[in-house]
Amino acid sequence: MPLGPDALPAQDKRRFARGFMPAVWLGLLVLAGWAMPLAESLWQWVAPDARQLVYQRATFFTLLGRHTLTVGLAAAITVSTGIAAGIAVTRAPGRDFMPLVAQLASLGQTFPPVAVLALAVPALGFGLLPIVVALSLYGLLPVVRNTIAGLQGVDAAAITAARAMGMTAGQRLWRVELPLAAPIILAGVRTSITVNIATAALGATVGASNLGDPIIAGIVNGNTAYVLQGALMIALLALGVDSLLSVWQRHMWRT
Amino acid sequence: MIELYNVSKRFGDTLAVDDISFTVPEGKFCALVGTSGCGKSTTLRMINRLTAHTGGEIVLDGQAINAYDPVQLRRRIGYAIQDTGLFPHWNVARNIATVPRLLKWPAGRVRQRVDELMQMLGLPAAEFASKYPHQLSGGQAQRVGVARALAADPYMLLMDEPFGALDPITRETLQTMLSGLQARLHKTVVLVTHDMDEALRLADHLVVMREGKIVQQGSPLALLQKPESEFVNALLGGLERGLKQASLTRVRDHMTPLGAMLPAHSRIPDRYTLRQALSVMLRDHCERVTVVDQHDVPVGELSLRKLVKKARPEKDDASGS
Amino acid sequence: MQPCPNRVLLSLAVAMLAALWGLDAVSVAPNRIVAGTGYPLWQAFGWPGAGLATLLPVVMAVLATYPVRHRDAALLAVSVLLLALMPFGLMLAAHGWIKPGMPQARLSLGPACWTVLFLLSLCLVELRLKMRLARSAMALWLAGVAGVWWLCAALWLEPLALVQEFQARSALFYRALGEHLALVGVAVGTSIVLGIATALLIRRFSVCQPAAFALLNFLQTVPSLALFGLLLAPLAWLGANVEWLAALGVSGIGWTPALLALTIYSLLPVVRNTCIALEAVNPAVLDAASGMGMRPAQRFWQVRLPLALPVLLEGVRITTVQAIGLTAVAALIGAGGLGDFIFQGLGQAAMDMVLLGALPIIAMALIADALLGALADIFRREAIRQGDAL
Repeated sequence: MPLGPDALPAQDKRRFARGFMPAVWLGLLVLAGWAMPLAESLWQWVAPDARQLVYQRATFFTLLGRHTLTVGLAAAITVSTGIAAGIAVTRAPGRDFMPLVAQLASLGQTFPPVAVLALAVPALGFGLLPIVVALSLYGLLPVVRNTIAGLQGVDAAAITAARAMGMTAGQRLWRVELPLAAPIILAGVRTSITVNIATAALGATVGASNLGDPIIAGIVNGNTAYVLQGALMIALLALGVDSLLSVWQRHMWRT
Repeated sequence: MIELYNVSKRFGDTLAVDDISFTVPEGKFCALVGTSGCGKSTTLRMINRLTAHTGGEIVLDGQAINAYDPVQLRRRIGYAIQDTGLFPHWNVARNIATVPRLLKWPAGRVRQRVDELMQMLGLPAAEFASKYPHQLSGGQAQRVGVARALAADPYMLLMDEPFGALDPITRETLQTMLSGLQARLHKTVVLVTHDMDEALRLADHLVVMREGKIVQQGSPLALLQKPESEFVNALLGGLERGLKQASLTRVRDHMTPLGAMLPAHSRIPDRYTLRQALSVMLRDHCERVTVVDQHDVPVGELSLRKLVKKARPEKDDASGS
Repeated sequence: MQPCPNRVLLSLAVAMLAALWGLDAVSVAPNRIVAGTGYPLWQAFGWPGAGLATLLPVVMAVLATYPVRHRDAALLAVSVLLLALMPFGLMLAAHGWIKPGMPQARLSLGPACWTVLFLLSLCLVELRLKMRLARSAMALWLAGVAGVWWLCAALWLEPLALVQEFQARSALFYRALGEHLALVGVAVGTSIVLGIATALLIRRFSVCQPAAFALLNFLQTVPSLALFGLLLAPLAWLGANVEWLAALGVSGIGWTPALLALTIYSLLPVVRNTCIALEAVNPAVLDAASGMGMRPAQRFWQVRLPLALPVLLEGVRITTVQAIGLTAVAALIGAGGLGDFIFQGLGQAAMDMVLLGALPIIAMALIADALLGALADIFRREAIRQGDAL
């Protein structure tokens, strides 16, 4: 691409625009949640035969709240344990466990979330718990993998310098290693959360109410309008959170 | 003052450093030279306990280094390396402030110290303070590395091939800057290098290592005049030893007053070394040059005959100038 | 001689002992709906069985602590032995707890057994990495263990819940397995062809690359469940109004929307990895190829593509594993497959039926992952070999 005199302002403009993307998506999400019952004519066109056009059993904001709670709980578990595990296996005492954990991280991704969910139900019963456990397990792997990759990718000279400056092990970790690995760790968190927002819809099949409810109800009753309503909300939520995390990632420390 | 007594380092079955002893008095500049893998970097890293020594004793400021807490010890020793090891997520000012902040200096004092160091190292604060390491050239990054090493006014300075990755011109500029700093600050410095010219130029004391052992140590001049082995001779440049010796002496110490003869056409500044003077003579096909001071005013002259005679330095030159 | 203890296996062995003694080993239920009663190790297997089950992890712990000759091989042998002995333990438990007068009664693996199975698989992973065993060697060991389990299950383990579930619907099971494999195969096959073609088009018209990736990324944020559901209406309409499509079997529910959604979902990883793979080829190599006088087409087919193949296969691997999982979801729209058992089981609260669906899906995913990984390894080695020959 030729770099003209206008290249830089244009780039700045694009960056500025990108900073607004989360607000745009999340705004659309709120708008959709509010306007859903008002757009009857649209649903009429989508599902001409349906008796009821808008999902009624709970408001979309309630479902959205439950969905966010489910994914948030799973993300909290995933991020705390995943990063802790990644840190543990990159320290001297835990290094023996590194190959096993790394291998496990790649192997775990092969477990289909439906199957994990199905296995969690016999152990934990129906409701919120199995879906949170399934999402945590499924989301753990990108976080662990990226934490390990991020910490291992820190420039060896920077670590040597940190030691030679007289930083303690804790200071090295918090002031040098984690900040330097942070963009990569955050990328893993982003993957994990975005995938889980979509996957959480499966919770509706095991009695955990969330934005998957309209989808399941729509499939069962052959009502496309319901499906579309649930899918729209989930997609907007995923795009909003994804762009939010991507803005954060870009603003981290790289200039 | 740093003293090493019969220090060894064993990695598994190999002896990386084998029974070495040397002393660097307060405010002196010592260079460890040798081919790669001779144990010079390991020796350096044992001084700030990045690597633990397995035998002998290292004494810093009158106390064995094992008696210090390693973290406290390292905060008293500046350390600069070839890869700079600058923290990429911190700007220049924050990088320089690393050790003062670890020592919990008050913010105002830290800021003042950073400004002072940036000026000392020729990095205008207005331009560089908020730049990030990836925005710096190799030479600038290395200046920041040295500033960071000096930040908390350490007891001594360790440098591991700090200029090894720089182009020759930048390297020379930084060497000049370093010797200027050393003249001002009188730090005890241990420098590891494989560049013999750099070592001869900067050091008061040379330690030549080979396969973990010290093969010879002494002042640059002593080594140049009397290499004890073919290895040291080769390291000192063999046939070019004469030139290296000439590069240890400055023109201003050996010029003669301006005579009755017309001043020679070629001019050289009085801070040049005899080696540079010889080079100018060869370039200009003349046997006589005019020596000028920093204001370009002729202050003396130097002839080839005089140069050849004086290039064999007298005793009082042995301390280096 | 290893000088230091293998702390990984030591902790795994200790965890195994804790699980064996702290959790229920088996559970027995009078029929398929009622929740079972759990029994601890010593009650389930009797004291001799409990002793043996304890002895083996203790041996592992000791082996892991003290340096003995061929330590890793010995540990591998003990792990495999423990895996192979487990069905015999279950037979003991069945003999003890299932009375002949209770034809409906069934035995399930308790949390202790599941935990030990999981920990043992971790041991095998660790040992494989430590001993640098080839995939094929490990596969051979596991095939042996699987054979023992299969034999026991088929011949003597009738009271085991999973076996009962299977025997009650074995014909259905094989059909579901076939449907599952067919759906995955067709969807992945189609998306490989389409995906590579798309990737090549994107490379040719690089202007639309951001837009194409944005679209594919957006499609991935739509939950698979919703994508299946959204295809219901348009396909139902097509099936009702376009005769030749109806003749082909297109309809709102069933395999058509499933196949379509699976294919759409599989496109992204294929396209992305193809693009990455083709871009990642060392430019110096491509320069050299041009320098030797290769035409662009020759350069693509003889240099770029073979070198990109391993990364491309990585995309196929991700796609396949993902499709195996997603096909289970497709059961919700009547596409059949093993997901049927999962959702029917969840509906009837019959957890053994859920297992009958979930376990084969996980096994399929792991096998596909291993096979395609091995294939990528072969191509990688081949590429290096050719590179050496050059």
